[in-house]
Amino acid sequence: MASASPEKTKWMRGPSTPLRGALLGLLLERPGHGGDLANRLAVRLGETWRVDTNDVYRLLEQLENTGLAASRDEPKRSNQRRTHLVYHPTDSTSEALTLWMETLLPREPVRLGLQAKLSVAREQDAPRVLIALKAYERECLVLAHLVSPTDGEARSWAALCMDCTRDAVYAQLQTEVDWAARTRRRINEFLQRS
Amino acid sequence: MTPLLSFLNVSKRYPDGGREIVVLDQASLEIEAGVSVGVYGARRSGKSTLLRMAAGIVLADSGSVRFDGRDMAAMTAGERSRLLRGAIAFMAAGDWRVNPGETVVEHVATSLGSEGLTMREAKRRALRILDEVGIGAAGAQDTTASLSLAESTRVMLARALAREPRLLVLDESALMPNLHDRDRFYALLRSAARERNMALLVASEEMAALQGVGVLMSIADGELCSTEELGTVVRLPGRRFASSEHPRR
Repeated sequence: MASASPEKTKWMRGPSTPLRGALLGLLLERPGHGGDLANRLAVRLGETWRVDTNDVYRLLEQLENTGLAASRDEPKRSNQRRTHLVYHPTDSTSEALTLWMETLLPREPVRLGLQAKLSVAREQDAPRVLIALKAYERECLVLAHLVSPTDGEARSWAALCMDCTRDAVYAQLQTEVDWAARTRRRINEFLQRS
Repeated sequence: MTPLLSFLNVSKRYPDGGREIVVLDQASLEIEAGVSVGVYGARRSGKSTLLRMAAGIVLADSGSVRFDGRDMAAMTAGERSRLLRGAIAFMAAGDWRVNPGETVVEHVATSLGSEGLTMREAKRRALRILDEVGIGAAGAQDTTASLSLAESTRVMLARALAREPRLLVLDESALMPNLHDRDRFYALLRSAARERNMALLVASEEMAALQGVGVLMSIADGELCSTEELGTVVRLPGRRFASSEHPRR
């Protein structure tokens, strides 16, 4: 497992980390300009994410400032006389992606963070993704465990509403645990076949 | 302190056509006296096998299952059977069997046959336990055949509690007709366990049914995942995955 100095994980701070991580994965697949990368992100992550092209440019700039991406002016395919900024991976990009795959996610955007990882995971990342899924499953169990139990008798309207809210939390967490288990199974089955 | 029940690297396989299915894969857990453990899992996840092993009904292919420090595999079938009629109570949906014309109190009292009690003493104890699970003296005289699903589940619980077990294993027998009955039943179960310092091992296909347990686990493809293990995980961005050197939360 690669060592992780604070300098190397500095780019993982803030709520945009999943998008930055996904951008690194896309850059490693092939270089691209901001619009291209924004389109590829949107296709990869689907409608759940609202990928704003301006945000993507901003995040690419941040990645460049931390040495994880490098931009070059290159001629446009459609018009060779005009140029645009094309982003490329650097020598540090692959290691950064691996570190991100190994890093625990903060509680709230955890599932979206996992989706971002899955969307650009390389086959060699399978063990890290499996660990991330297991950690997520535990996280969901802990959240379920934190819910105070009902006494089984909703005697008032307020108590009934409380019970319904509690039920919503359980339903959501149960779905998440099922999804994590199902995804682990699919990855394991794939690894056994290949 | 010796845990009441422990699983150490327990595996179980069943044949499926020409191949083998792993229904329990290197499962490890410990349950102390008086602790309640809930296992959430979908159908065919391995939870029934786990519970049947905990009750000594099924033996492990590898690893060890110990009750009160004693290896279940080293016990004779008779010893395991006695355990299941005494210190361990096992409840599952298919276990509801009634005799024609039998009353509720008779049903519970006859289950105490090997306790060395007279029928009068057994009935007295049965009435006390039935009252605790919400079936009063009048309800105790109803015939078992006339009971609703929710009532018969409570009678099953009374029957299990009457032997004063140290561990109650419940394999989602409480498939209640509605959420209200389910929540009432589980609240009753938790309260009964607390009063007796009885350990609980409960499995369900509904996570909400397991609310209030001391330890929550999930099982999928025979692999256990537990809230207990999270104690070693630090969740800060930039940190790495679980490691034993990380402080407990």
